[in-house]
Amino acid sequence: MKNVVFIVNLSEELKPNRTNPYQYSVKSWKTWCEKNNCELVVLDERIHPESFMNANWHKIFALQLLDSSDIDYNQVLIADADTMIHPNAPNIFELTNDEFCAVHGFGSYDWECRSIENYQKHLFPKVELDLFEYFNSGIIVCNKKHKDFYNKVINFYNSNQELITQMQKTYNVGTDQPVLNFLLKSENINYKQLGYEWNMQHMARFEILDEDLTFTKIGWIYHFNGIPDDARNYMMRKTSEELL
Amino acid sequence: MNSKKNIVVIPMIIPKDKNLDKFGGWQWMLNSKTAWEYWCKKNGYELVIYDKPALEDTTKYKITIQRWFDIFNFLDDKKIEYEQVCMVDASYIPKWDCPDFFQETENKFTTTHEYDNFKWVYESIQGYKKSFEDYELDILKYFHAGFVIFNKSHKDVFEKFKNVYINNVEDFAHIQATVRRGTDQTPLNYVMSMEQVDMKFLPMKYRVSHLPRKEFLNYNWQLNEDKTPFFIKYGYIWGFGGFDKTQRDKLMEDTWNLVKHNYIENPTIEFLLDSINEDKHTNPATTSNKFKTDVWNFFKDFKDKVCVEFGTHKGQTTKILSYCFKKTYTVNKDLKSFDSAKMLNVGIDNITYVPFDLYSSEELKIDNVSVFMVDAGHKYEHVVSDINRCLSMTDMEECYIIFDDYGLDVHEEEVKLAIDEYINSGKIEIVKKIGHESGHTFGGSLGRTLKDSEGIICRIVK
Repeated sequence: MKNVVFIVNLSEELKPNRTNPYQYSVKSWKTWCEKNNCELVVLDERIHPESFMNANWHKIFALQLLDSSDIDYNQVLIADADTMIHPNAPNIFELTNDEFCAVHGFGSYDWECRSIENYQKHLFPKVELDLFEYFNSGIIVCNKKHKDFYNKVINFYNSNQELITQMQKTYNVGTDQPVLNFLLKSENINYKQLGYEWNMQHMARFEILDEDLTFTKIGWIYHFNGIPDDARNYMMRKTSEELL
Repeated sequence: MNSKKNIVVIPMIIPKDKNLDKFGGWQWMLNSKTAWEYWCKKNGYELVIYDKPALEDTTKYKITIQRWFDIFNFLDDKKIEYEQVCMVDASYIPKWDCPDFFQETENKFTTTHEYDNFKWVYESIQGYKKSFEDYELDILKYFHAGFVIFNKSHKDVFEKFKNVYINNVEDFAHIQATVRRGTDQTPLNYVMSMEQVDMKFLPMKYRVSHLPRKEFLNYNWQLNEDKTPFFIKYGYIWGFGGFDKTQRDKLMEDTWNLVKHNYIENPTIEFLLDSINEDKHTNPATTSNKFKTDVWNFFKDFKDKVCVEFGTHKGQTTKILSYCFKKTYTVNKDLKSFDSAKMLNVGIDNITYVPFDLYSSEELKIDNVSVFMVDAGHKYEHVVSDINRCLSMTDMEECYIIFDDYGLDVHEEEVKLAIDEYINSGKIEIVKKIGHESGHTFGGSLGRTLKDSEGIICRIVK
């Protein structure tokens, strides 16, 4: 049974330039999957219209879609389409101990603290989250044990879609990420925190997103977030040209 | 109190070179020392100041380097007994309730990851690499040397570090002058890694650092219910590095002024007033220092009693009340009105902020109240409503009401009129006039002169 990498690559009217560099993400994951005997699945058709659900949220259908497509799997890595993996990266699936795995949300703690506090106030008043356990949802590894969890996430979204959309518009502190964090905690799902090298966020803030591609000398999965669209496009293309 | 003798060591030598004062002075070191003194005492440990390195040449062998050379000898010379040693930079302040990290070490060399400026770390590792025979140091296991815990089992590895350093001192001095990526930290990382020292990394909350880079200095400006900066709320040990050094003293001083009340067991009124640092002469909406002092003097022994404050401004009077009473409730119309008060009183856990419209017909359910502090609406009908609410809530044998702005000329036909009516009706009686006396002026615009005392303490007549 293969492990699967699942990526959502959907265009959005609200962010017309955002998806331009996603081709480099898909290419990098494809290369890595081939080297590591994994299957790459790219979702490029919407399940819900943008007015009901943005592209990012479509990641929560990964396990359901694999089942409905008769794709059997062992573990699934759900990756944002603004991530790239080094072709020589070790096999991340061997690090998981069969647990739900993610990387702490490094970067802007102003954004993260507001995300936690705002979502706690309006959606999860009884759930306490530890800031330093808060994970970035750009890279998640899960498996069949987590089907029930993701079904609950889908139900939660369907039941709270208006409030969630309003929260996204009002506070602009994340889409699926804060909700996944709170639900994982409230559902008591074991969570293994992986190191920064497996989801290198806010690389510009840490001064490694440079012409020398210093980030490629430090870790394995590069998350091109916290930067303008033009910079993302440029750096993802450059990374692709250098590594792939 | 902990039975094991652990110590915290801070290298702290204030330079005699006055040119270095351009970085904003050295008060930050003293504030750090005070904070660590408190933390050590609270946890039953000893604070030791490392102030005399063995080698006189502190240009070649900076204090940050020498501390690793001779810390064990330094402690032995002073006949200080210990099991574990925490070496921490003077630019770190522990949160008042930082957990006892000595309990987390498993007797290993314990530290934190350097997840601050990866570029700096990468260049530093590359810069020193040749001096360590091109050893591949794993950047993801690189630790920050500003906060580490070790024990006597690490004597040998520190000795090795000393030898390596002395044998390469000219190379290292050149690297420090050209690469400009640290002094002791990277060589120490190389030695510890090459010697395969078993390390334990504490969670990030034990060292929050590069505060501007990570936007940790901000507060939740969207909910706007608490202006306390995030690093104070969420970090256990705060590192004031990774930014322009000229800003360090100011930032540490500002932080210290926000939190210093948490590092003292029995503060005096003078200490509390200093921590509030605002008086009615500069802010008409607060009470004067004299008012606060009189409240303190009258109620400071009410430590088993409950107080309710009607009307929260910046939490300044609330702070005084919180040190007088077992429990203080402060009431205002919504959560946003507590934003400054929560920041001023961060860490004071006997204050409850109650969002409540005092002028609604709803009942305010707080039991066993012995003292009310009334300083909300200043219209006649507001004060009448407040007094009636106090009278309806009182269930204690003896109950007091403190009124602010009793004698201020601008409120004569409002606040004073209402209070006097209740005094005259016999429902409350005067106990003491407080604050500034009749005739005092707070300066500034009209309506800042007292026609009677600034405040008054009354007792509810049963």
